[in-house]
Amino acid sequence: MTGTDLIAVAPEIIVALTAGLVVVADAALSRSASRRLLPVLVAAGLVVALFAPAIWPPFGPSVEVFVRKGTTPFFGGFVNVDPFANFFRAVFVVLALFATVVAPSYLERKNVPAGEYYATLLFSTLGAMTIALSTDLITLFVGLELMTIPIYVLAGMQRRDRYSNEAALKYFLLGAFSSALLVYGFAWLFGIAGSTRFVDIAAALGAAGLASGPTIVALSLVTVGLGFKAAVVPFHQWTPDAYDGAPTPATAFMSVGPKAAAFAAILRVLVGGMGPLIVDWSTVFAVLAAITMTAGNVVALVQTNTKRMLAYSSIAHTGYILAAVAATQAGAAAGAAVLFYVFAYGLMNLGAFASLLYFDLEGTRGATLDEMNGFARRHGLGALVFAVFLISLTGIPPTVGFVAKFLVIRPVLDAGYAWLAVILALNAVLAAFYYLRVVVRMYMYDADSGAPALVSPRLLSLSLGVSAIAVVVLGILPNSLYQWALDAAAPLLP
Amino acid sequence: MTIDHVLTLLLVVPAVGLIPLAIFRDARSAKQIAIVTTFVELVLSIVMLVQFHVGEADFQLVEKADWLPSLGIRYFVGVDGVSVLLVPMTTLLTFISVLYSSGGAIKERVTEFMAAFLLLEIGMVGVFVSLDLFLFYVMFELMLVPMYLIIGIWGGPRRIYSTLKFVIFTLAGSLLMLVGIVAIWLASGPEGSRTLSLPDLIAMRNHFSKDFQFWVFLAMGLAFAIKLPMFPFHTWLPDAHVEAPTAGSIILAGVLLKAGGYGFLRFALPLFPVGTAIWLPVIIVLSVVAILYGGAVSTVQKDLKKLVAYSSVAHMGFVTLGIFVLNTQGAVGAVLQMLNHGFVTGALFLFVGIQYERTHRRVIADLGGLAHRWPLYTAFFGVFVLASLGLPGLNGFVSEFLVLLGTFQFGGDPLGGLFWGPLAALGVILAAVYLLWMFQRVMYGPVREAYKALPDLSPIEVACAVPLLILTVALGVFPQPAIAIIEPSLDRIVKLALDPTLQVALK
Repeated sequence: MTGTDLIAVAPEIIVALTAGLVVVADAALSRSASRRLLPVLVAAGLVVALFAPAIWPPFGPSVEVFVRKGTTPFFGGFVNVDPFANFFRAVFVVLALFATVVAPSYLERKNVPAGEYYATLLFSTLGAMTIALSTDLITLFVGLELMTIPIYVLAGMQRRDRYSNEAALKYFLLGAFSSALLVYGFAWLFGIAGSTRFVDIAAALGAAGLASGPTIVALSLVTVGLGFKAAVVPFHQWTPDAYDGAPTPATAFMSVGPKAAAFAAILRVLVGGMGPLIVDWSTVFAVLAAITMTAGNVVALVQTNTKRMLAYSSIAHTGYILAAVAATQAGAAAGAAVLFYVFAYGLMNLGAFASLLYFDLEGTRGATLDEMNGFARRHGLGALVFAVFLISLTGIPPTVGFVAKFLVIRPVLDAGYAWLAVILALNAVLAAFYYLRVVVRMYMYDADSGAPALVSPRLLSLSLGVSAIAVVVLGILPNSLYQWALDAAAPLLP
Repeated sequence: MTIDHVLTLLLVVPAVGLIPLAIFRDARSAKQIAIVTTFVELVLSIVMLVQFHVGEADFQLVEKADWLPSLGIRYFVGVDGVSVLLVPMTTLLTFISVLYSSGGAIKERVTEFMAAFLLLEIGMVGVFVSLDLFLFYVMFELMLVPMYLIIGIWGGPRRIYSTLKFVIFTLAGSLLMLVGIVAIWLASGPEGSRTLSLPDLIAMRNHFSKDFQFWVFLAMGLAFAIKLPMFPFHTWLPDAHVEAPTAGSIILAGVLLKAGGYGFLRFALPLFPVGTAIWLPVIIVLSVVAILYGGAVSTVQKDLKKLVAYSSVAHMGFVTLGIFVLNTQGAVGAVLQMLNHGFVTGALFLFVGIQYERTHRRVIADLGGLAHRWPLYTAFFGVFVLASLGLPGLNGFVSEFLVLLGTFQFGGDPLGGLFWGPLAALGVILAAVYLLWMFQRVMYGPVREAYKALPDLSPIEVACAVPLLILTVALGVFPQPAIAIIEPSLDRIVKLALDPTLQVALK
């Protein structure tokens, strides 16, 4: 381990230090002081981490050079800071920041311990960032566990709420199960390659070919294991209950952070680590994508609880992203589509879940469609931003969600999966039905008398407003984001 | 007077109007801001028309800028004979809708209503001036959300069902079109040189294989067929019209439907001549079915607004028939029919709305004898009804005559023009039946006691109707200037559609 190694992972170190500081400060401060100060501390830490890559050059110009090229691994080859890693780092930090600023008033109202919320959030973010950096099965697995274990805690944070308990237990059991499958798959990969490095695995798999039994076993186990993490149908059953039961700001983060990380892992292991085999394996992804998006949307159609509806719709979005993964034959465009979609999805889905924070949710049953009635009259700004997120999730221009869909359809067609593109388009129509039904309730119904009270924290409105503007601006001017995604995908998919 | 970047200005002005709308949120200022903005937009579109050189087939007033350079997608706008008249039609109908709505038709959430209209106007104008398929798609979808809100918030009792049906139908078509557009983009060359700009795509269209043209024509054609709407995709239309507020109906019938016919002419025909040839028989049959079915169903409608809505289905049948007989007369007739339908049916919806606001009745059987009370209303409404049924001397006659002329000359499969021409002509007779019968039942006969005290047209309503009346008469008596503008561009489009090997270098 050298100085450059440490500098290379400076953002991770900063996040880890902030998390540690949160734990200490929470113990030292009074309850009310920690509620007020911790979000500021966390936000500051995350902002510094976000800009940390930019402060490398003063430490040594040589770092800058190989960071850009992404060829020299750090820590003896366990970690690689390439543009791909930097893209995902930025995504995770931005999402964590978002989940931090929308939370304070909810945490106070629901009496959720603030220190534990922020610390688990940061540790989970740290795990996700580690996944993005990994070039080795061991780093990847450590990152994956570091990301998911805090999320189990996050889901069960409302200790006295039985829905929250159920969410945590379900998530934990299925999560542990999927981790076991994944590790078993990794063991097979190690058995085949004799190494845990992705490079060596790619070479060994390429030599063995898909016809060999161990390769099939290894790939199936890894696909299933990562499929659980990303909530791919039929490995999705934990999702609705876990999302529904968790405290809403935690749900907002859970629905985007771990999913983005799962796709980072899928790209690193299954795309980066499979070499030439990916072309044959991609059919599996294409079929899973079609099943996932259709099942997610069909079940979302019949939900009357918006939180559950968004949970199922997030499964459908997994399907859309998976469609782009299946199209990796199309080259860097497919990788860029995955990255762009992950970013766009993170922004709009986190925003949509966070919009539910305006509703003073009883227990954790989520806001029913009836509670949405007349939202526009009761809170104009809240309804407007929620509508922007929903329209973006539907994929209607000029929002970032539309550009993301466009970018996904493109490699899917290019790779020859025209049927998948048509299924995707028809699914978007299904999705429009339930997303717009919420807009209908907000704008076209009058509020019921005796409607539950709305809450209106300023910080929530401000952060949602900023991200809604980002959703529209990135929908009109997506070029720089796309270019960034393209550069980031290049190392994996030349 | 010449103004640079007039097309971009046309897209920017409504957006600029949204800013003061967001600041002054009371109903009175909202109305004033919207009226001023749409009026400036109208004047600007007329300036654009004046700057247009008549007699040239090429795109004019072209503006280009990089938008998504890594994907070869550009901001690319321009007008030719097909679109140059549709833009002022859009701005005029928008201005009239806003003016009429300001007169008291919209009482709730006025600011939001006006904002939706300005947003809608960007999309509508954008559809007609976009020459890059990506930009076109964005504009096509931009029309969707405001209209969805307009029907859903300010509509009638069954507005929620209607507006969702409208959105789901339209989205189903347009998302398939998106797949088609991406397929076109991928077929437009190797990585790095791909484009979605229409002239470039037309130049390389003979690289599109037969299968490709078959499927992509289907994908895009479905979107346009639903928007138009063609039989059997029309079922959203009567629901949407019946529930939409008057201004929404005017715009829906007057402008939104035209996006479908325009899409066929602008993109489907010149890009996919082989696909056009394959699908042509289907569309011809469906067009004639639409003319006859729309007419027959209109005849038996009990609801006045539904009658006008179904008559739109029949009128749009003439548009597709005129486009797909693939000769210049038919195509000119189709474009004129789009314009005329915009003015006349827009006016019909306006007058049904005016009437409804006074009597609160739309069922024809509940009305009657209004002619004695409302001489001014009767005169205006009568002219528009006659124009709609194709009375010589008014604009509807010219366009339907040209379409029929084109149809009689149609020599291709199936069955030829001499079979379809007379059938389509039957539709004109049906139009006379249902419109005159309706006019008789609504305007004549004994008047109800409750209606006796109702006032005739107000000055603001007259102001809305007069421009439409002038255009209806002018385009009927002297259509030549309009035809001269439209013809060169259409001639080229028809040539491109007839001969798949034809190479035309477009600017």
